[in-house]
Amino acid sequence: MIYLDSAATTMQKPAAVATATAWAINHLASPGRGGHWPAMAAAEKAFACREEAAQLFHVKDPERVVFTFNATHGLNIAIKTLASPGSRVVISGYEHNAVTRPLHALKADIRVARGPLFDQGAVLAAFRRELDKGADLAVCTHVSNVFGFILPIEGIAALCRVRGVPLIIDASQSAGCVPVDFTGLGAAFIAMPGHKGLYGPQGTGLLLCGVDPAPLLEGGTGSESRRQSMPDFLPDRLEAGTHNVAGIAGLLEGLRYVNNLGVENIAAQEAGLIRSMGKGLRAISGVTAFQAEDPAVQSGVLSFCVKGRDCEEVGEALGGRGIALRAGLHCAPLAHETVGTLETGALRASVSAFNTEREIGQFLRTLGEIAGA
Amino acid sequence: MLYYLIVCRSLTYAQRTAAALERAGITARVLRSPKSISGEGCSHSVKISQRNLPDSLRILQRVGLTPKRVYITAGDGSYQEVAL
Repeated sequence: MIYLDSAATTMQKPAAVATATAWAINHLASPGRGGHWPAMAAAEKAFACREEAAQLFHVKDPERVVFTFNATHGLNIAIKTLASPGSRVVISGYEHNAVTRPLHALKADIRVARGPLFDQGAVLAAFRRELDKGADLAVCTHVSNVFGFILPIEGIAALCRVRGVPLIIDASQSAGCVPVDFTGLGAAFIAMPGHKGLYGPQGTGLLLCGVDPAPLLEGGTGSESRRQSMPDFLPDRLEAGTHNVAGIAGLLEGLRYVNNLGVENIAAQEAGLIRSMGKGLRAISGVTAFQAEDPAVQSGVLSFCVKGRDCEEVGEALGGRGIALRAGLHCAPLAHETVGTLETGALRASVSAFNTEREIGQFLRTLGEIAGA
Repeated sequence: MLYYLIVCRSLTYAQRTAAALERAGITARVLRSPKSISGEGCSHSVKISQRNLPDSLRILQRVGLTPKRVYITAGDGSYQEVAL
């Protein structure tokens, strides 16, 4: 199989991830829930994972690295901490449902800062306009999960800081793929999954906390057990219930892989693959590829449409020939609306550090056959 | 043997505390706080030997990891809080 769906989950992982996950299942217990070796060893694993993440994302205090079950979990914590009914919330035109659905559920006053695809300047200007109208919160994806568009997050963060507007960043597609500097950005929260660019198992995620959060769940933490309210300190405040220790053990190995390889190197490799893919797609008759002219504004995600063909049917045909990618709306109807593909959907190919030029070539040949049929 | 227990607000804080001490060459072990000193119930402490307390407090102050409370073992197995 040629796997081109890493924007959903990186299925190919460093070997150490599966080894560590499997070992943890039979050797590690619950952190903070006992003084015996399996509990303390689990606690050491969790702490090592927080420290590894703190190093990668420039978080000074590893207590501010909170384990979640995915990015959606972290985004819900962040949004429900900072938004309430009627809050004026500025978002980009490229947000995932993990952002928009919680905001709609809260009945927030959502203001979309729209800008054309791959036009960072226009997006930044739109954010400035919307923030200047008055805002209580800004939520922005770092990288579009549909188009790989790298949003001008440093500029948006600066606009928010100057205006005193807290910023939540969805780093689902950027963590491990492009540099993310928590301290430099000064964000209120940065949420990310563990199972995409960080190469951890599914069911893992991280929330980096710049402000004091409100718990989404209440329950046991292994600390201050007599109190009937959640502890007021991190990470315990947000980590009710038993941790996904096996997942955390795997995530630690994924983080080590990314730190060892270097995010800049991963980004360069993925950008090279996307350049080749875009060039090849443009050469196939009837294919429209959403590729940036400036490669600096696109990560390892590239969407395309085949004229006159249903995207799901093309995705199905590719799947039948051993090529895994994702068709449809990618849980991001707002992004498709912004670009004009809401009615047609699109096919999304996304790469990881494990993909090769040879695989891209094979994918293009197969798509050419399907598109020409 | 007499030793000190530095009571920490969380397991992660205890781990940071122990890591800072270990980096400075002081042996430090994270353990669950004895029930009698755990305050609100269930906490973690960092155990250090008696001779290392002054250096430990200096190091922790330098790295911004202020101890919540410090206890010393008494001969009868009980713990006495140390005034900091």
